[in-house]
Amino acid sequence: MSINSEFFIGGLKDFEVMIKVLQRLFNDVRFFGYRVSGDRVVFSELGSVDELPLKVSDVQRPNYYRLVPGFRFRHASVSVKNYLIPPEHTLLTVSQDYNILGYGDDLNGNVVLLGIKPCDLKAINILDRIIYGKNPIYTRRRDVIKAIIVEECLEPSENCFCSVVNSGPIVKSGFDIAYARLTEDIIMFKYGSSLGEKVLSRVGLKKADEVHIKKYLELVDRATSVMNSRVPNIKDIQKVLKERISDKGLWEELSLRCVGCGNCNYVCPTCFCIEIEDRVEGNYSKRVGIWTGCRTYTYGLVAGMHFRHELYTRYRHFILHKFLFYPLQVGDIGCVGCGRCSTWCPTGLDLKESLSRLTEVRS
Amino acid sequence: MSGNITSFEFKKGVIIGRVEEAPGVYTYTIRYDGELKGVPGQFNMLYVYGLGEIPISLSNIPEVRGNYTLIQHTVRVVGAVTKAIVSGCDIGSIVGIRGPYGNGWPLKDVKGMDVVIIGGGIGLAPLRPIIKYIGLNRNKFGRLNILYGARTPKDLLYKYELNEYSKISNTKLMLSSDTPAEGWTHHVGFVTDLIDSVDVDVDIRNTVIYVCGPEVMMRVAVKKLLSKGFRKDLIYLSLERRMRCGIGVCGTCQFGHYFICKDGPVFRYSDIEDYFMIEGI
Repeated sequence: MSINSEFFIGGLKDFEVMIKVLQRLFNDVRFFGYRVSGDRVVFSELGSVDELPLKVSDVQRPNYYRLVPGFRFRHASVSVKNYLIPPEHTLLTVSQDYNILGYGDDLNGNVVLLGIKPCDLKAINILDRIIYGKNPIYTRRRDVIKAIIVEECLEPSENCFCSVVNSGPIVKSGFDIAYARLTEDIIMFKYGSSLGEKVLSRVGLKKADEVHIKKYLELVDRATSVMNSRVPNIKDIQKVLKERISDKGLWEELSLRCVGCGNCNYVCPTCFCIEIEDRVEGNYSKRVGIWTGCRTYTYGLVAGMHFRHELYTRYRHFILHKFLFYPLQVGDIGCVGCGRCSTWCPTGLDLKESLSRLTEVRS
Repeated sequence: MSGNITSFEFKKGVIIGRVEEAPGVYTYTIRYDGELKGVPGQFNMLYVYGLGEIPISLSNIPEVRGNYTLIQHTVRVVGAVTKAIVSGCDIGSIVGIRGPYGNGWPLKDVKGMDVVIIGGGIGLAPLRPIIKYIGLNRNKFGRLNILYGARTPKDLLYKYELNEYSKISNTKLMLSSDTPAEGWTHHVGFVTDLIDSVDVDVDIRNTVIYVCGPEVMMRVAVKKLLSKGFRKDLIYLSLERRMRCGIGVCGTCQFGHYFICKDGPVFRYSDIEDYFMIEGI
């Protein structure tokens, strides 16, 4: 799927029509996306369009997140990962005499991802390359996705830097339809697949005029330049990481405020590590996959010894994996620039700051 | 197919033999329900009901016998699952087995080369199938030197067959004990000391080296081997990390950019030299 420069313009009413078209197109379709639930946002199945975070903006800073009235929702602590790899998921059910009683996920039917963000889309792309075809739950949940509808970001949060890692603020491929809100009720639509083209034509949108396109591109440019000024060039970061990989003092300094809670791992859309636990529930046991993370104490712990006993080594793995190891594993940076790790760090340890610090110490 | 909903499914294995190798170390012979074609250096995930799975290397070449396979695993009691196996399982007990996983030692593309095997403590377990393999395919390899050490003579594994190893033609077996013991006539000190021994009798530039033991010991071994002139692309090490799945899913066995479970557990030293000497990588 290539970049499509055909833009259409509509309003929230057209957005609702688009959803109806999608519903008619697939049998048994379920929509998953960001959903407003009380005063917070979750990522789960959507009941109606009213549940989408269309009337809120988020305010994000390191260790700070608030929802306020608005129309610039970026993301929440949850992400598309919550759908693809649920925080807890059964892999196997086993009887006491070692017979297999059942397997994992019972998710069936067709799924449409609605309103995921460019950083989510990039995360799917990365996760596809690292665990698709290996993790049975991920593979199953990925396979039933029939359409991906992305909401682009025309104003980044204070913690966002997706442009630096080429995952936003707009999307170029791997989606069916993308939309961006020029104002509260002016929405720019584009398609990224023949399916998306079909859907948008059925919605009956009018083509965007030059004024709209100009405003869109201006907002994209502004968002990009704001974010680009926040984090050094990735190539420079990678060079320092290679040079300073064994510089214990530097890593201790960078991880000084890390408490090893793993919140950054859990909110990171590309962190996929799981622990597998047995849960005995009577005369059977469930083998359950549970999120874990490299910043937590048990990462590297084996019976009899610990390979990553010191916190700086686990912090270092988080950074190295995203910026050095992912490129070797999947050919791309593993960080999508969403800034969730900074927003939900209980001590406000800011990845942007750490990356900047790294390039300052460059020898 | 990998990624299939059944990829975490194990098969039943019935314990049919148990040998006490050393204090806290046992070798189990298991009748695996099915065909398990494993090569030296690969591992299985052993499952104990209600507790969990652990990666344990094959300590012998699997023997496929029609619809079942005889496999051996040497287990040291260190964690919950190993304790449950040793304390809770008897002859006739069932364990779950999933595997084999990992790459194994390269044995096919080293034909005619001399071989040095260096094992520390329980580290001899994944090396034992190589010794068996060379015994069965003696003409395909050059000289064989086995360097094996443990903390005390009691901690040596496979004491009942060590003598047989030295009887393999063109083979030298050198033993060491970290601590002196009564009646011990072999080297006292670390197994890596033996690398400096004049008895090591191989063509240094044309020798493949297989190493397994505690990581500290392997680091010393690599340094010594390199300073002796052994080739870094012919040194192979078997590594371990926390591991929950064996199939590249759980992510907990990452070592640098490698997954120990699928890219290893055996690594060519020249492929991991950027990481191996770094603490906690």
